[in-house]
Amino acid sequence: MNVSLNWLATHVDLKGKSPDELDKLLTFAGVEVEGIEIKGVRSDKIVVAQIMEAVQHPNADKLKVTQVDAGEGQLRQIVCGARNYKVGDKVPCCLPGADLGGFVIGETKMRGVESRGMLAAASEIGLTDAEDGLMILPADAEIGKPVRELFESDILLEVEVTPNRPDLLSHYGMAREMATLLEVPLHPLNITALETRASSDAIRIDSPEACPFYTLTRIRGVKVSESPAWLKARLESIGLRPINNVVDVTNFVLHELGHPLHAFDAAKVHSPIIVRQAADGESFIALDGATYPLTSDDCLISDSSGAALALGGIMGGAESGVTEATTDILLEAAYFTPSRIRRSSRRLALSSDSSYRFERGANPEGALPAAALAIRLILEIAGGNVEGDTLTAGNPPQLTGPVALDLAKLDQLTGASISHQEAATILERLGLTATADGLWQVPAFRADLQRHIDLVEEIVRVKGLDAVPSRFQGTFVPSSAVDHDYDADMRLRHRLAGLGFHECQTIKLIADAQLIDALPLKPLQPGDSIRVALPLSEDHAVLRPSLVPGLIASAERNLRQQASSIRLFEMGRFFRNAGGGKAKDLEAESLALLISGNRQPESWTQKPAKADLFDLKSIIQALIPGVPLQLVPKEKANFALGADIHAGGQNIGSFAMVSPARQREIDSPAPLFVAELELAKLRKLAAVSTDIADLPQFPGSSRDVTFDAPAALANAEIEKAFGKLQQPLLVSFECVDLFTDPSGEKLAADRKAITYRLHYRAADRTLTANEVDTAHQQALAFITQQLGIGCR
Amino acid sequence: MKEKIDAIQAEALARLATADDTRALEDARVAILGKKGSLTEISAGMRDVPKEQKAEIGQLLNTARNAITAAIESKQAELQAAADAKALAGIDLTLPARALSHGSLHPLTLIRHQAIEVLRRMGFALADGPEIEDEFHCFDALNTPADHPARNEKDTFYFDSGKLLRTHTSSVQIRTMEAQAPPVRIIAPGSAYRRDEIDATHLSVFNQLEGLYVDRDVSLGDLKGTLEYFFREMFGSETEVRFRPHFFPFTEPSFEIDVKLHAKGQAPKWIEVAGCGMVDPAVFAAIDAKRSDSSFSPDQVTGFAFGMGLDRLAMIRWGIKDIRLLIENDIRFLKQFA
Repeated sequence: MNVSLNWLATHVDLKGKSPDELDKLLTFAGVEVEGIEIKGVRSDKIVVAQIMEAVQHPNADKLKVTQVDAGEGQLRQIVCGARNYKVGDKVPCCLPGADLGGFVIGETKMRGVESRGMLAAASEIGLTDAEDGLMILPADAEIGKPVRELFESDILLEVEVTPNRPDLLSHYGMAREMATLLEVPLHPLNITALETRASSDAIRIDSPEACPFYTLTRIRGVKVSESPAWLKARLESIGLRPINNVVDVTNFVLHELGHPLHAFDAAKVHSPIIVRQAADGESFIALDGATYPLTSDDCLISDSSGAALALGGIMGGAESGVTEATTDILLEAAYFTPSRIRRSSRRLALSSDSSYRFERGANPEGALPAAALAIRLILEIAGGNVEGDTLTAGNPPQLTGPVALDLAKLDQLTGASISHQEAATILERLGLTATADGLWQVPAFRADLQRHIDLVEEIVRVKGLDAVPSRFQGTFVPSSAVDHDYDADMRLRHRLAGLGFHECQTIKLIADAQLIDALPLKPLQPGDSIRVALPLSEDHAVLRPSLVPGLIASAERNLRQQASSIRLFEMGRFFRNAGGGKAKDLEAESLALLISGNRQPESWTQKPAKADLFDLKSIIQALIPGVPLQLVPKEKANFALGADIHAGGQNIGSFAMVSPARQREIDSPAPLFVAELELAKLRKLAAVSTDIADLPQFPGSSRDVTFDAPAALANAEIEKAFGKLQQPLLVSFECVDLFTDPSGEKLAADRKAITYRLHYRAADRTLTANEVDTAHQQALAFITQQLGIGCR
Repeated sequence: MKEKIDAIQAEALARLATADDTRALEDARVAILGKKGSLTEISAGMRDVPKEQKAEIGQLLNTARNAITAAIESKQAELQAAADAKALAGIDLTLPARALSHGSLHPLTLIRHQAIEVLRRMGFALADGPEIEDEFHCFDALNTPADHPARNEKDTFYFDSGKLLRTHTSSVQIRTMEAQAPPVRIIAPGSAYRRDEIDATHLSVFNQLEGLYVDRDVSLGDLKGTLEYFFREMFGSETEVRFRPHFFPFTEPSFEIDVKLHAKGQAPKWIEVAGCGMVDPAVFAAIDAKRSDSSFSPDQVTGFAFGMGLDRLAMIRWGIKDIRLLIENDIRFLKQFA
């Protein structure tokens, strides 16, 4: 909302208050000042001067040397480049020291000729240019007088009023607040109460819940024309466009008192006025020319003809408004229920200064005073006569009442830093009155004050939080399960960063098209992804069922920037239904990993090698050291080399390579490997075990064996056979070499030579070579027999 | 004999002096001290030395042996030192390091972690709640009127089921108080969603951090002290913090918090960083109604709540001009947080 300081000054004395002081005053009253615009001439050192002489500058074709009379008793020499003046004209003269908004005029030499000031164009001193060149002032302007005094200057505040304070949505309301805060008097409003008469003949309210109170005043014989200068200036000062004197008066009153009014052309209205709910499917053509389809939730101002004259409290109709041809008007002043206005305004995407105020809550008792002021101004400006009394229907609802202030609670909340006397004084300044039974009667314009806490809020707001001393104390609370999960996640994050991974944050709403990149822990069936009803765009329509799509999109972005080594991870929530939508709205957390391109950044000492699936596997293993990890091949839709990740006897996630086709689409020079792990399981497996083993007391021995096996025999099968082996001296084994030869020269193409190192040890003695050999032979015999393979 | 020993010693020392590699040194050692070495052979001559001279000659031999052994050892050390020096010669320390990929935590994680660490020092525990919420936890219980603009489907993501994506982490306040009687002292970092078009200053999915403290005798002084301390820990101990009265449906009185930011090359300015206030009694009433008890009776307890945008804090901290950098995951950007 725009607030004009000159307008405010008609209600409260703000002399001597700088814009910064007012900014601070309002800010700490809870009104955000978003902008301050100074309109008009700022400096007193810009004065009216008459040009007495102008001669050609000796050294510059385009400059003249002038002698001007600025009322100083002697002429002042100023060099000037303008051409639009003649000797004898009066122009603004900026004397040395005049501040033109950060630029201060001084005495100088221009091309070797002394120039003691500046003759100015309108735009240079904060006014609007009417012509090109110097501003030519009226001939009767008094020489030496500050130009500021010839033109009204103003300060415009752009403020944001919180929704609980509709009483501030007018100049009078804002002035009332400032008077309270500054502890200065508020000038009384000069409004004479209207004569009113309830009339069910003239007004019928069919929807009292939407409009409990409606009044009409008939004014005959008005002359609709242009508004007088003062009225136009007022409206223009806050950025409004004058229309005609009657409409301008209603607009003025809205911004003066905060109560919206509406003027009908009486000739277009067939009495009685009927305030009713619209029929479903009824349409309304508003002032803005657009047609709005209505529902029974909308409140229409209609008449006996059934015409839709106005959308109550929101906007007048195209047909019934005041025009140049209007002679008789019906002035509406009413109160509309905020929730109804809000619903209609929002559904129709139609808002106005009127709806803005009614939906926040106008003062029901403000309708008649607003009408009174408007009538007085219309009669003054547009002539005419009021016919009869103001007719009313319904009653203004009583929205405020007496409220108790619990002083013990006030003391508790403020640490007793505000005295009871001071609290009472603040409430009184705000217009509340103490009742005989110790309560506080709230004025009608403050319907936001309903409870004890609302009064406390006002007291603290006016007093300022600075007055309340800070306190540093708090109860001890135990850590929560969320704390433990958070700590585990941070450990994983740090470990991944140490492993060269960059942590990502991607948007949790993804596109349908990205679902093909999902690598969910359990397959997605139709109905398992969760779609928002009204997405902003198709790019952000579905809650991610997996974090991998976000990482693939991030990898794609980095590939476009020629990233040659990509290691990304993200931790966070995914969302899905399960069982084709049977189990709804499941949320859990996962960790997604993506690697592609060079294993290490290229350098003079390392030739680049491409990361492969065993890199990613080792990284997952590094997150759960000591817990054996297995990739169990399992088809993953839209991916290659899919596998479940098994560890600690459970399935903890999914692993895959981006399919070659998708890789080509992404335009990646290297394969991309991805994994998604269930964080709840990973956190447990990653926790440092409390079960610490003693170090062995005796040395062990190892023996290598190379099996001659079919190429298709998986390592997992061999490990499984080892698992079945009963050899108490064998403590561990590992795969140390793999040899295949697709050419078939050194080894048949369908065979492989795979080497394991077997470690033997006894807990109670050093083993003899003989014992180790015997155990080794037994182990080999078992494995080869189990798998039907040979040793080399 | 004496002369011979002197001569052997002199010759041996001379030979050792000229040995310029380990091979020559070893040859010399064998030639002097080996089985057939010159000193070994003359030592064998001790048998023939008259008894009265044995002590003298024996001492001479010992002296010679010691001198030669010392010379060999010293030569050995000299040659080793020379070999070591040669092995290291010509290494260019100024060549670049072998490249090692080092990762990074996301700036949002960094700022969130800092905030959590500060608040944990003050005794807050973490809490969370679902992001797919219902109207009760996101709005009703937070004293938000049924026709409040925030509840509009133009501003909030709804699902056909009637559920919605939480518009703030304040819903976690409700979830926590439903499950836990006072004292409650929690913080809840998490995502929130609004139907805002993504641009340089808006994301439709953003990150907040919520705080709530409910206990007997929680006052405005506690709210002020807690948040002043918090923002001074976040932005430096000299940071000026101010509380501007504001309006939120779920707190009263409500404030917005500004800190004075001193950015290099700019005039200091107040920047809004958080909203806060004393928990509105209507919120407590909604909780007690849901709990069917009076654990949160406004006659018994009071509380304060606060909330802040973590993306915004990250932008302020690092002077990030476009919020989209926080979701684009450009490695060139992320690397700067390594």
